[in-house]
Amino acid sequence: MKLKVWGARGSIPAPGPDMNRYGGNTSCVQLTLSDGTELILDAGTGIRSLGIAMASQMPRVNILLTHLHLDHIQGLMFFPPCFRSESEITIWGPASPEASLEDRIARYISAPLSPVEVRELPCEVSFLDTPASEWQLGPATIRAESVTHRGPTLGYRITEGDTSVAYIPDHEPGLGADLAGVDPEWISGHDLASKADLLIHDCQYTDDEYPEHVGWGHSRITDTLTFARRVEAERLLLFHHDPLHSDDFLDAAHGKAIECWQGLGGDPAKIEMAAERREVDVNSAGSSASRPGPAGVAVGSAGR
Amino acid sequence: MMASAQRPLELILARNLLTSLSTPAFLADEDGALVFYNEAAGALLGMSFEESGRLGPGEWSAIIGPFDSDGNQIEVEELPVTKALRDGRPCHAEYSIRSTNGDQHEIEVSALPIVAPEGRQGAIVVFWPTDGGG
Repeated sequence: MKLKVWGARGSIPAPGPDMNRYGGNTSCVQLTLSDGTELILDAGTGIRSLGIAMASQMPRVNILLTHLHLDHIQGLMFFPPCFRSESEITIWGPASPEASLEDRIARYISAPLSPVEVRELPCEVSFLDTPASEWQLGPATIRAESVTHRGPTLGYRITEGDTSVAYIPDHEPGLGADLAGVDPEWISGHDLASKADLLIHDCQYTDDEYPEHVGWGHSRITDTLTFARRVEAERLLLFHHDPLHSDDFLDAAHGKAIECWQGLGGDPAKIEMAAERREVDVNSAGSSASRPGPAGVAVGSAGR
Repeated sequence: MMASAQRPLELILARNLLTSLSTPAFLADEDGALVFYNEAAGALLGMSFEESGRLGPGEWSAIIGPFDSDGNQIEVEELPVTKALRDGRPCHAEYSIRSTNGDQHEIEVSALPIVAPEGRQGAIVVFWPTDGGG
């Protein structure tokens, strides 16, 4: 599988000169399977650039939404394939007893927030609740499970052959739980991420910031690292950066994360901060190879 | 893909909540087994969850009773947790329990079913000691 990050920011887009290296767009990850099947994980503002880059090459896409907070759907209305009649777009997301997925998304893609309505989109678009059991998209097996966040929120595990990617961008598994000591069956998201070749996981807060944000649905970095060790993920991509965290701040946080990761027995080369345009070839048994994004941030470089 | 061994998220969140409470509280799975109880409950029972581990219905009833006002053991089928799981509605009762050191405690019990989109996942059971115990 090939993976490309189009948005790694959380909460709200954070453009600006201090954010250029990691990027200011909100959650969006492109996953290209071996047969060319395209999966898009979340539709934050990063999906706009993805749609422009793919131009007309992508008539059929599956968008897997973890939840419907704005930073995960805001880019949908600006995703160019939505405005092409030849596009076939399937949007998967969490079920709700309150309203259908389409109706909930239409609250955003409708007046007065939007100049267009869902029914006016020229593409062929369908909205599907994620099934309770695994399902197939191209050569991949997809699994969605509810995880600890505010409101109905999913994490995904995408498996092709013997290679798995776990995507849990908004997740607070440490809320009320001793992640280091509790049995795995009691850890939110454990099965989804267990032994994944690549885990993409929430790291919104530093340990110093977290006490002011307990219960907000996001992780402090040490909880993310502990979670990654408990699930025995092969590699970890720290994701969903706080909009207040500048490039320099994230560099420093990365350095601290590496120290903590090593303290937990982890390989410093297996942990990195997600940055826009970062590309990763994901293979089984940790043979993932990353290509730096335009800013040239090295992967897993120690001592930041 | 591995077989799922993980608890439903609703039970995980319930356990996290119970961990933070000072009120004796228990978590039962859909089969009526006690899959967790908090420190306050452990103090009341005289045995921590770390010591006991998961307790099936026959196991925990053998430890704590419970007993009615005449001292007769109450059938598992008549307990609030069983009714909550069976009927999907809250249930309340008064009875006494026995701790591992032999002390009897008068308590009120509230059992609340945990109902998820997939159906009933378990129940939260709260003990309210009425004799000053716990």
